[in-house]
Amino acid sequence: MIIEIEHLVKRFGQLEVLKDVSLSVNKGEVISIIGSSGSGKSTLLRCINLLESYQAGTIKFESKDILGSIKGINQYRAQVGMIFQSFNLFAHFSVLENCVIGQVKVLKKKRTDAEHLAMEILDKVGLASFANASVMTLSGGQKQRVAIARTLCMEPKVLLFDEPTSALDPEMVGEVLQVIKSLAKEHRTMMIVTHEMAFAKEVSDRVLFMDNGIILEEGTPNELFNHPKETRTKEFLQRFRNQ
Amino acid sequence: MITLLSKIPQDLFGAAGYIFSKYGSLFFFGAKNTLYIALSGTIIGLIIGLGIGILRALPVYDYDSKLKHWIVKTVRIITSVYVEVFRGTPMMVQAVFIYNAFLPIFKNSKLLAGIVIVSINTGAYMAEIIRSGIQSLDKGQNEAARSIGMNNTQTMIFVILPQAIKNAFPAIGNEFVVNIKDTSVLNVIGVTELFFQSTTVAGIIYRFSDTFFVSALIYLFLTYSTTLILKYIEGKMQISGFDGPSSQTTPLIKGHYKAKEPKQ
Ligand SMILES: Nc1ncnc2c1ncn2[C@@H]1O[C@H](COP(=O)(O)OP(=O)(O)OP(=O)(O)O)[C@@H](O)[C@H]1O
Ligand SMILES: [Mg+2]
Repeated sequence: MIIEIEHLVKRFGQLEVLKDVSLSVNKGEVISIIGSSGSGKSTLLRCINLLESYQAGTIKFESKDILGSIKGINQYRAQVGMIFQSFNLFAHFSVLENCVIGQVKVLKKKRTDAEHLAMEILDKVGLASFANASVMTLSGGQKQRVAIARTLCMEPKVLLFDEPTSALDPEMVGEVLQVIKSLAKEHRTMMIVTHEMAFAKEVSDRVLFMDNGIILEEGTPNELFNHPKETRTKEFLQRFRNQ
Repeated sequence: MITLLSKIPQDLFGAAGYIFSKYGSLFFFGAKNTLYIALSGTIIGLIIGLGIGILRALPVYDYDSKLKHWIVKTVRIITSVYVEVFRGTPMMVQAVFIYNAFLPIFKNSKLLAGIVIVSINTGAYMAEIIRSGIQSLDKGQNEAARSIGMNNTQTMIFVILPQAIKNAFPAIGNEFVVNIKDTSVLNVIGVTELFFQSTTVAGIIYRFSDTFFVSALIYLFLTYSTTLILKYIEGKMQISGFDGPSSQTTPLIKGHYKAKEPKQ
């Protein structure tokens, strides 16, 4: 087990967004998280990456509490990559520099080594020829692939995707999903919040349905999509089919 | 004396030409000091502003220690007192107060006094410019930096500040232009800048409108050429964002990077 979440509670003021969430993630597992808007999917990922604090419960990474030491938080974050809906590329850097900066400053790698790995990974996401381009000139799909490359350059042990294709024009969704699928094939540990049901079905080992701050139902893609048990899950999937 | 005064042409432009040719060196001396004070004051002010602006925008997170929360809160209060006091009072008043409060230091160097006053005053404005430059950035920039493991300092230096300063550049440059004009209040403590020199000239020839017409033209020349230079640099900074392959089909968005609104 690489991540263990126990009785996680997250509140924004009075609003309880995560209500006693427990979850274990195995090494190499691909988990998709689905659920309606506001159910707490993003918040769960953001808590795992410590972009949000939480009020109760524990999150363990490789059996150690992630809040163990403040100093360790940054090292921990580097091992848990996050890919955002809105890319959040460093706007003032080139594509290559986006992929190099973290390696040099956080991992303290030599620039030449960092650039070498960055080019390798950019090649993998099909953007090696854009290494020197300013990120402002890229299309949405390209931006998200750079964002994935930037995260991969840190050689993280876990990848967290928060609706990686929701901000994209439909014709660009495919190229990004393709990259994520190739990562799934490498048996990387991933948690993917998505509204792309067909994709979730295809890549996931396990699918979680979140509703109102809890994980209401979980199972294999076949169990969850074809034989959902809970009424809320059925309703949610029904709504999706009708769209 | 009568003969001297009677030689000055009666029309404004004629008089201005005469005054400039005769007292050009006095104006030049004043203009040089004005530029010197304005430029050093703006640069030192920017440095102060960067320090204070960063302190004021320092993030604290729930998992940080109680002590850190307390320190950040105290720092915010102290810095906001500085900013409010120096933005909320006239620089002329600040000049008289500071000059006299530190008279032993400044008595023999009014130029130094001028630079110190303009720097402290500008620092307060710069602090606000830098802080709003930092806070106007998409919070995703900060989150992305933290999510790859950067600490607060690294995030600030490598991700936030370069963008904040770039975005704030027009406002920073504007402070310089404002300072070229506002150094004129240093006349009140007798700094020999352009306004002071103009008063001297006007006092010699008893022609105030004509003399100050000349100084107005010099001020205008200084501010306008500064503005042109700043605009030029601004243009350069935007273009430097584009170094992509020429085959690029997607349009170049000038200025800020904007993420598309998430679809619902
Ligand atoms: N910073 C915040 N301050 C206050 N409330 C917040 C904040 N962030 C999220 N929330 C609230 O927490 C709840 C869960 O939000 P979250 O973003 O986790 O939902 P989600 O499942 O990711 O939804 P979506 O599919 O729309 O992205 C929502 O009600 C939201 O309004
Ligand atoms: Mg979300």
